Amino acid sequence: MSKQETNFEFLGRFDKRVAQLAKQAEEYVHTDPDSCMFKLRLMVETMAKKLTNLQMRGDISQDLGAMLGALERAGVVSRRQADGMHAIRRDGNAAVHGSPTPVPTAMRRLKDAYRISGWFCKRIKKGAKVQLDSFVPPEPPTPLNKETEALHGKIDALEESIEQRRLETRESLLMFGPQENVDEVTRRITEELKALDNVAAAAGEPMIDADFVALVMAMDLEQIEEDPRHGGDSRQARREAEQQLESIKNHLAEREEAFMAERTYLLEQREPT
Amino acid sequence: MPDRDTHDLATLWFLSARTMAIAGEDMPSVQEAATGLYAQAIIGLSEDECRIAKDAEHISNKTLIDCLSGVRRLPRDLAEKILTGVMMISYSDRSMKPLEVRWASMLASAIEVSPDDFQRCCVNARIIASMLRPSEQAQ
Repeated sequence: MSKQETNFEFLGRFDKRVAQLAKQAEEYVHTDPDSCMFKLRLMVETMAKKLTNLQMRGDISQDLGAMLGALERAGVVSRRQADGMHAIRRDGNAAVHGSPTPVPTAMRRLKDAYRISGWFCKRIKKGAKVQLDSFVPPEPPTPLNKETEALHGKIDALEESIEQRRLETRESLLMFGPQENVDEVTRRITEELKALDNVAAAAGEPMIDADFVALVMAMDLEQIEEDPRHGGDSRQARREAEQQLESIKNHLAEREEAFMAERTYLLEQREPT
Repeated sequence: MPDRDTHDLATLWFLSARTMAIAGEDMPSVQEAATGLYAQAIIGLSEDECRIAKDAEHISNKTLIDCLSGVRRLPRDLAEKILTGVMMISYSDRSMKPLEVRWASMLASAIEVSPDDFQRCCVNARIIASMLRPSEQAQ
């Protein structure tokens, strides 16, 4: 790809600001990968704001993570696109906070941004015909020496393994496995449940106290915690659950820090001693 | 490596939880992420156990009868955690449909919880549902 060419030419017809940010990111990918990440993060933020303005109602936080979460929950952004956008947000944040971005990492995120851009155009303009060609990685301004090439290879392998580990974490949290046919499982469980319901109703199986269930659902948490019968237990349950949840969140945060440390360590290998 | 008992526990949890989510007809993504977080934070399952539990060989051949029978055989504290988690799933969308009531009822019968214990599980479920429900600000 020559200096004048860009993967993002098509984007200008749909959103000039997003297209400009994409092109700038592309220009910086080899010479200043941190700036490339700043631009990509801003590009994703601009896309997310446009999507929330166009397709969602109500007050949505302007925090990028919260915006992406809201868009995903509302079904505006699919899981695949959200994963790519979160990856850009995460690496963009890391760059802003001083963690150096290796060129292979910026290149991966640029490729993610290319894929997301094609989807974004179709999302903001119904019926838009966007045929994405294969992403062409921008060439470095000067050929890489063997040492740098080897380092990039190592960093790329590390990125691949980090993405794999993040994917496994995500899969562990979801209700269905990646290979499961959710519609088929839903159909089967619904049939079984209805059959069991008929049997239980015919046998006079006792039902739970649905009124109490509804009452608890309707009560404020403060009311529950002040309730003379359940207050003590519920406060204790809250404390325990908060502690356990906190430990999981800390574990995930520590692992993200470890990913960054691994990446930084590899980058430092090329620094002269 | 996770042993067979923890595989079974994880499979029982995911089967119980998805049955409640399906009984609720609408399945918002909040329930999806809450399922795994509850498994790891409250039941104490590992990431690997949660992933392996959803492999076809573990979960696809289990019926709801197998699930009820498995929950019945669990130690009482674990069985109550499953019941609490299932109630948390039903509370997450702030409504309860007839089949959700039936599934909760069948689990409660299988575990043989007293009305007082069931009420305690409900209250705890409501508390935990409020913690795991992501707000617009969270993420």
